[in-house]
Amino acid sequence: MTAVATSKDGSKAEAASSRTPIVFIPFVLGVVMLIGYFVLPFINQPELGATTIPLLTANRDNNELDVITNGLRLLWLSGVVVTALGVWSIYEPRVDRTVSVLTVIGGIVALTYYVIFYMDYRAEEATFFSSIGIGFWVMIAAAVLMIVQVAVPRGQPAKHFEVQYMLGNQETVLILGIVALLVIVGITNPRFLAERNLLDVLQGNAYIAVAAIGMSVVIVTGNIDISVGSLIGLLAVISGRLVVNGAPVIIAWTLPILIGIGVGAFIGALVAYLRVPSIVVTLGMLSILKGILIIWTNGERVTGMPEAFFLAQQRYLGVSVPIWTMIILTILAAIWMRYSQLGRSLYAVGGNAEAARLSGISPRTVVLQAFMINGLFTGVAAVLYATQFQVIQATPPPSLELFIITAAVVGGVSILGGVGTAIGATLAAILLNMIRSALVFINVSPFWIQAVQGTLILVTVLADLLRRRRQRQRG
Amino acid sequence: MVATEKPKLITAPTFADRLRNLALSQEGVLFIITIIAILLLSTQNENFLTASNLLNQGRLLAEVGLVALPMTYIIITGGIDLSVGSIFGLCAIILGFSWQEWGFPLPAAIALALFIGGFAGFVNGIFIVRVRVPPLIMTLATLALYRGLALGISEGSSARGFPEWFFTLGQGRFMDVPTQIWLLVIFTVISGVILATTTFGRSLYAIGNNETGARFSGLPVDRYLLMIYTFSGLMSGLAGYIFVSRVSTTRSDMGTGLELDVIAAVVLGGTSIFGGTGSITGTVIGVILIQLLKNGLALSGVTSDATIIVIGTVLILSILVNRLLENYKAA
Repeated sequence: MTAVATSKDGSKAEAASSRTPIVFIPFVLGVVMLIGYFVLPFINQPELGATTIPLLTANRDNNELDVITNGLRLLWLSGVVVTALGVWSIYEPRVDRTVSVLTVIGGIVALTYYVIFYMDYRAEEATFFSSIGIGFWVMIAAAVLMIVQVAVPRGQPAKHFEVQYMLGNQETVLILGIVALLVIVGITNPRFLAERNLLDVLQGNAYIAVAAIGMSVVIVTGNIDISVGSLIGLLAVISGRLVVNGAPVIIAWTLPILIGIGVGAFIGALVAYLRVPSIVVTLGMLSILKGILIIWTNGERVTGMPEAFFLAQQRYLGVSVPIWTMIILTILAAIWMRYSQLGRSLYAVGGNAEAARLSGISPRTVVLQAFMINGLFTGVAAVLYATQFQVIQATPPPSLELFIITAAVVGGVSILGGVGTAIGATLAAILLNMIRSALVFINVSPFWIQAVQGTLILVTVLADLLRRRRQRQRG
Repeated sequence: MVATEKPKLITAPTFADRLRNLALSQEGVLFIITIIAILLLSTQNENFLTASNLLNQGRLLAEVGLVALPMTYIIITGGIDLSVGSIFGLCAIILGFSWQEWGFPLPAAIALALFIGGFAGFVNGIFIVRVRVPPLIMTLATLALYRGLALGISEGSSARGFPEWFFTLGQGRFMDVPTQIWLLVIFTVISGVILATTTFGRSLYAIGNNETGARFSGLPVDRYLLMIYTFSGLMSGLAGYIFVSRVSTTRSDMGTGLELDVIAAVVLGGTSIFGGTGSITGTVIGVILIQLLKNGLALSGVTSDATIIVIGTVLILSILVNRLLENYKAA
C-alpha cells in the first residue's frame, strides 16, 4: 500500500519533468491526419477530382461513393481520436504508454481506409498510385507512423496507467472488439461501413442499450429483472394506443415512462421489503405483463399514429434521437453510478448487503430505487422502441430480456453483484448488435447467425471471466 | 428453515406439531391451494374433474414435469439451467433431421438425440465446474447457442412422416393411461427417492447451503454438479423426444420459453431459488397446479393468454405466503 503511494507521489513529482518529446508524438500525428483530411482537396490536383471530398460528397446518392465518403469519415474519426489522445498524453504524461497503444489502433483504422479506397479504385480499373494526391501520401505516412511509434522506448508508467491495467477494463476490451469488427468486416465488405448501415445498427438497437443500462443497475445490486422484454412490449403498446386515441404526443411519451417507474417500484417493493427473490418476482411479472399485453391487444398491431409521434425518427444536429438518448443516458448513468451517493450504494449493497447495512446504508431503499431506475430506463427504451416504425407489434422481439441481460453481462456486470458500469453495458449492446449485422454482411447463412452469435457471447463471457480471475490473482 | 436454527428442547414432536408443520410447509400450502383450485374449477365446468380430461392433462404436463425433476436438483444446489428449452428444441431437430436428412434408422436417431441432449448438459456442467462460470450466465449463453444450432441445422424446415410405432410414447396408452405418464411417474419416484435418501441427494442440499463447506467436508461437489447438469440435458432431450412423438413433427422453435415454465413450477413447489431447500414432491405439485390452472381456466372460458396472468400471480403469491409463514414460524 505504502509502496504504491510513494510511487504515485514520485511519479507526480516527475510528471512535469518527464514531458519528453515522445509525449507529443500522438498529438502531432493526429493533427497531421486532420490537416490531411481537411486540406486534401486543395493540395490535390483539381483534375483528379475523384479523390477530393467535395466531389465525393456531391455524389452522395451514389452507393459506391457512399463507401468512400464513409471511409473518409473513418479517417476523420481516427484523426480526432488520436488528437484527443495526444492532448491527454501531454496533459498527463504518465498515460503515454497507453496512448501509444491506442494510437496504433488509429493508424490501423486509417490504413483500413486506404485498403478500402484501393479496392474501390481497382474495381473502377483506375491506377491507384497515379491518381493519388500528395495529401493522401502525407496521410498514409502519418498512419504508418502511428503504428510504428509504439516501438519508441518509453519510461515506466505508474501502475494505474500501465497498458495491461488499462486494457484490463471491460470497456476497453469492448471498444477494441468494436474497432476490430469494423476493420475486419469493413475490409471484407466495405458496404458494412456505409453510414446508413452503421446508423441503422445504432439507431435500431439504441433501445436495447438503454434497457441494458437499467438492467446493469439492477444486476449491480445483486438482483435481476427478467420481465423487461414484456414490459417494453406493453409500454410500447400503451404509448401507441394513447396517441391513437387522441392523447397529446407528450403524454404518449411520458406516461409509459411513469408506468415503467411504477412497475419498477412494485417489483422493487416485493424484492426489498417482502424479501421475495427478484428472479421469482420478475418471472411472475413476465407472465403477468405478457398476458395483459396479449389479451389487451388481441394480437393486433397498433397503427395510425400521427407523424409527430415518431420520436425515434427525428433528428437533431444530424443524429437521430435514439442515438442521442443512448449517449446522454449512458454518460449520465455512468457519472451517477460513479459519483452519486446512491450510485455508490448500489455497489456496496451488491458487494455485501450486510456490510452495507452496518455502514449505515439501507439495502432495502437502495434495491427499491434500483428497480425504479430500471423502470425508468425500461420506459425510455419502450418509447424509443414504439416510435421507431410506423407500426407497433403486439409482441416484443422474442427473448428480448435475454438479449438485454446478455448485453449487461457482456458489458462486464458481474451477475453476483457489486461490479459493472453503464458504459460497458452500452458498448456491449452496440457490439452485440453490430455482430448481428456484420454476420449478414459477411454472408453467413441467416439460419446460422444465432448459433454464431451464441458462440461469440460464450467466448466473450469466458474471456471476461478468465481476465478478471487473472487480475485478481495478480492482486 | 429459520426455525431449525434455534436451539430446541429435546422433546419428540407431537402429532399435532407435525401436522401443523406439514400444513405450514410450502408443499402443504401448495397442496391445500391445489385442492381448493380443483374444487373451484370443478364447479365451473363439469368436464374438468373427469378421468379422461385429467389423463389428457397428464399427457400435456409430462414434458415440463420431466425437465422439472433435474431442475429441482439444480436449483437446490443454488444453480439454474436456462438452456433446457433450447436443448429440448435442439434434440427435437437432431431427432428429425438425423432420421430424415442424414438417413439414420429411427432408433439410432432417438439415441443420438438423447446423447446430444446429455452432451449439451455436460457442456454446461463442465464450464460451470471447471471454469467456474456462474450457471445463470453459462446457461444464458448456451440458451442462445443451442437454439442457434437447432435453427442452423434445420434451416427453418421441419421433419414429419414418422412411422406409426414412433408415436407410442407421445400418443399411445398403456393400461388406459397415456404412456408418458408412466414414464413421468417412474422418473419422479426414482428422482424423489434419490434426492431424499441417498448420499448424493443429501449432498445437493449441502452444496446449496454452503458450497465451500460441502467441498471442505470432502463431498465431490464438482462431480455431482456435472452429473446434475448432464442429467438436465438428458431429460430435456427425452422431453423433446416425447414432444415430437406427441405432435408428430419437428420445428426449430420447439420448447421456446420452456425454461420459464419449468422454473416457475419448481419455484412454486417450494424450492428456494437461493438453494438449499426444496423437494421433488413440491415440484410435482407445482407442475400439476400450473397445468390444472391452465386447463381449468381454459375450460371455464378464460383464454389461454389470460391463464399466464393467473400463473404469474399464483407464483408471486405462493412465494409471498411462504415468506410470511416463515416469519410466523420463526416468531
